[in-house]
Amino acid sequence: MDLETLLSFDWGLMAPEFIILIATVILTLLDLFLPKKVDRKLLGWLGFASVLLAIAALTGLLDNPLGSILHDTFRLDAFAKAFKLLLLVGSALVLLLAIDYESKEGLTEYRGEFYYLFLTGLLGAMIMSSSGDLITLFVGLETLSISSYILAGLRKKNLKSNESAMKYVINGSISTAITLFGMSYLYGITGSTNLKEMSDMLMSISDSQHIYLLGLAFFMVFVGLSFKLASVPFHMWAPDVYEGAATPVTAFLSVVSKIAGFVILIRVMVSIFASVPMEDGTTPMLFALQDFIGFLAAVTMILGNVVALRQRNIKRMFAYSSIAHAGYLLVAFTAMSYVMFDSIWFYMLAYVFMNLGAFAIIQLVTMKTGSEDISEFAGLYRRSPILAVTMGVFILSLAGIPGTAGFIGKLNIFLGALMVNPSHYVLASIMIGATVISYFYYFGILSQVFFRPTATGEETKVKVPVGTTVVIILCAAATILFGVMPQLAFDFLQTNFEQFIDFMG
Amino acid sequence: MENAWLIPLFPLLSFLFLLLFGKKLKEASAYVGILLTLASLVYSVIVLVGRLTNDTYKAEADWLQIGNLQLTVGFEVNQLNALMLVIVSLVSFLVHTYSKGYMHGDERFPVFYAYLGLFTFAMLGLVLSPNLLQTYIFWELVGVGSFLLIGFYFHKDSAKAAAKKAFIMTRIGDVGLLIGMILLFWQTGSFEYDEIFASVQAGEVSGTMITLTSILIFVGAVGKSGQFPLHTWLPDAMEGPTPVSALIHAATMVAAGVYLVATMFPVFAASETAMATVAIVGAVTAIFAATIGLTQTDIKRVLAYSTVSQLGYMMLALGAAGYVAGVFHLMTHAFFKALLFLAAGSVIHAVHTQDIEKMGGLWKRLKFTAPLFLIGTLAISGVPLLSGFFSKDEILIAAWANGNYVLFWLAVIAAFFTAFYMFRLFFMVFTGKPRSEYKNVHESPASMTGPMVVLGILAVISGYVNTPWFGTFLGDWLVEGNEALGHGHIEGPAWIMIVATLVSLAGIYLAYLMYMKRSLAQDWFTSRAPTVYSIVNNKYFIDEIYQSTIVYATKAVSLFLRFIELFLVEGLVKSVTGIVQGLGKLGAKLQNGQVQAYGTVAFVGLAVLMLIFALTGGYL
Repeated sequence: MDLETLLSFDWGLMAPEFIILIATVILTLLDLFLPKKVDRKLLGWLGFASVLLAIAALTGLLDNPLGSILHDTFRLDAFAKAFKLLLLVGSALVLLLAIDYESKEGLTEYRGEFYYLFLTGLLGAMIMSSSGDLITLFVGLETLSISSYILAGLRKKNLKSNESAMKYVINGSISTAITLFGMSYLYGITGSTNLKEMSDMLMSISDSQHIYLLGLAFFMVFVGLSFKLASVPFHMWAPDVYEGAATPVTAFLSVVSKIAGFVILIRVMVSIFASVPMEDGTTPMLFALQDFIGFLAAVTMILGNVVALRQRNIKRMFAYSSIAHAGYLLVAFTAMSYVMFDSIWFYMLAYVFMNLGAFAIIQLVTMKTGSEDISEFAGLYRRSPILAVTMGVFILSLAGIPGTAGFIGKLNIFLGALMVNPSHYVLASIMIGATVISYFYYFGILSQVFFRPTATGEETKVKVPVGTTVVIILCAAATILFGVMPQLAFDFLQTNFEQFIDFMG
Repeated sequence: MENAWLIPLFPLLSFLFLLLFGKKLKEASAYVGILLTLASLVYSVIVLVGRLTNDTYKAEADWLQIGNLQLTVGFEVNQLNALMLVIVSLVSFLVHTYSKGYMHGDERFPVFYAYLGLFTFAMLGLVLSPNLLQTYIFWELVGVGSFLLIGFYFHKDSAKAAAKKAFIMTRIGDVGLLIGMILLFWQTGSFEYDEIFASVQAGEVSGTMITLTSILIFVGAVGKSGQFPLHTWLPDAMEGPTPVSALIHAATMVAAGVYLVATMFPVFAASETAMATVAIVGAVTAIFAATIGLTQTDIKRVLAYSTVSQLGYMMLALGAAGYVAGVFHLMTHAFFKALLFLAAGSVIHAVHTQDIEKMGGLWKRLKFTAPLFLIGTLAISGVPLLSGFFSKDEILIAAWANGNYVLFWLAVIAAFFTAFYMFRLFFMVFTGKPRSEYKNVHESPASMTGPMVVLGILAVISGYVNTPWFGTFLGDWLVEGNEALGHGHIEGPAWIMIVATLVSLAGIYLAYLMYMKRSLAQDWFTSRAPTVYSIVNNKYFIDEIYQSTIVYATKAVSLFLRFIELFLVEGLVKSVTGIVQGLGKLGAKLQNGQVQAYGTVAFVGLAVLMLIFALTGGYL
């Protein structure tokens, strides 16, 4: 590739990525050369500013028609824009939390590391959502993964943190191996790594042996990627890692990393396997194998919610709850209705706000004592009523009670599952059942917050730092706003992304 | 009527205002709540009066568009919800006023009023909803409000447990409602009531589907209205403050289930099986709860079981195609049961116990409360000329006219029990000698007696809007312009009224014999000399026959049913939760912390998926 071609690309499409990349480099250098006594929180604010800048850049790109550069390895379609926006908003919120995070072990030494690793992770996720090629997809995936492995082990003097990072790496490698193996089949059959070329090639496939191999690849890719979603059968790392990692990292894993997982899943599955005809020549493989995904979705929902009942550690509980939420999202993915993109996007939007809001409060409450037992929440209502009420909002939303964004999200998925023909009413019913089970542990937290006196009897107010205050207010406002007026979000989707029609374009 | 949507907003305003400024206002919060609910009440009355002369009013706005699906929000004023608006806002207003005296001195006084506001908002919103989805949203909100109110005394473990139980038991019902609602949506393509009715009447939905969806929706009503077998939360919910019981467990939330069935009546009416289910569940609940009510000794629990039983009557009425009878009883019951709860609260306020074994002889000491309690008791027992008499009569006639003779007789027996246990309650509390020492028993303040007087008047006169003698005004108005709801008045044989009267008088007389005069009976019981003298002279021999036969038998049955309730129904619920818990345990055990295991699960999972794919696809 000569310089001329290189310059002919419209690099503006990558502006948000470049902003994050440059910020990462600057942060690394600053961390290296700044004197030890300079508070590294400064770097956090810089990182935060860069994410805001990236959001601004992305907003500027919203009106751009579909564009692709680097021989269609990087594409900026509606899908990429919509989900990148979620990733950036989620990251901005997590960064605010991270700036206020103080752990017992003292994070001062590694605080700088945290910020630039966080940004590289984000960069990986953004590249994943924009890639049109298996290679870039994989590079993005690994950038995200490797950053997350280190982030999980950041509390170096904490045994649990070390253990969790180790488990995360091992499991992550297994998942990468499986995914890659699946992808190698795809490459073997089509001879290309470009998603669009592969899709074109696969349309005309008819050899049953090839279809069989593609089926195997389907499962390998799906199971490999389910690691990132934390869904069955690759969910078991989640509780350990969530528990061991520092709270902002947990928040990052449960929100940003999970969204990235769904982004890559949808990108690969819909681009490739929706094009593979089954032997009857009409049903695409993605639809023919819906029952399998549906089954996994059901198991994920049930398992996540049922095991969450047993947890006393709040972060483990949220790990299982996040497994369950991945299950709900998989229901939408299974049904593949024509509102699939909208409903997944909306659910994730709601999830970003309600889950990060909850994590903000978890961080505040657990930071003080270092204990993560749910009894730490006892009497929160007496100590600080406002925190208690906002926590109530987040929990109600996670549980899917009407009036909150979480309800609308579930309703969309639910209607989507029934809209298609044949409708997935069994899956929809399982989803309701699983939701009901989730009430038990969600309301367990609420009864701690509202109905229990503090264990120690002391009723000191919880101090809320500025960044966390902003996160809590934003999240609570958004959770209620999108619960009462969801049309705002859907209108935004309609006007800017036009039903994601250019996904296959 | 165009501005009927304002009605729920007043209590919402009260909720928000008290949430923010309650701490500063302290007990002055009461005035905020009272004034704002008064505004709702005044407006509701205006709307009701407007609806008397005008047609149904409906307004809607777009809310959410998913694909080409358009969901709307709005409100509707038809006969049923205009009536409900007045009932709900009236009782809520009275309860707000009453609580000012009852909750006096509670440190969380403003919070209580805030919760009351939230609950009233939710209930009024529920009543105004023109579609199933909106109904469901408010339905859940009502649940949240009641959860907070039942658990208000959260320092008591029993209150906490009761709040949780109420929430979860009603949730079980709500799942039914949600599934039924979604199925209906799937079949008719709309959540709007009128569109659903139109599509059902046009025969676009298959018979089995109508039956299935209406039964599922009925499951939701069963949970909310405390019908068998999901009724066990209601007696436990008496752990909440007494005004709450009057508001939630007499007039509003528990009536929501009945209201839902009434609203969806055209769908239910299209399926015989669904109607029969509603009628049978209603009748069984009516007699089941009445029987348990016979032996309870906690004043509020007696009233709770009687509520369950009366709600059963309403369901029976609806199931027997007696739309008017059901709604009519819903109205009269709201008044007299709220009265009874408030009067019971006044008694508890005076003697600081809820155990009727420890009461007695309060008639002279509570000059206001006692006669009002008597009015409520007479009304619920179905004594002629009071409101309960007319509405109960309508229900019996509807059951008879529908040909459900078994259910009819069950209802008659339940009426007998009702009269008996209510007067047992009355005699034990107000007559005889005090059975424990009271300290400074005093009548409640005017803020408490005032609302009781209003309800007392209504408990007497509200029946006259629909009587066989002076015209069935309410009934004619309710069904006007809607043939699917049946007739405004169902003609029934005259002897039913006589039977109903006799049965209730018999119940009262039996209670009189046993509990008014029981000191004598007990003497006889202890000095059981089998002499001719005592046999001849003991005019309460008849008591003893009762005592040793009928009463023991009913007591046994009552205990047996309570046993069923405790072990079978709750056992079933427990075993379901047990299974879930067990699964959780198993899942947690699998999570053994060993990274090999995690990898293995993923690999085995993958292998199994591929194997099944290969086998089912015929590749191997």
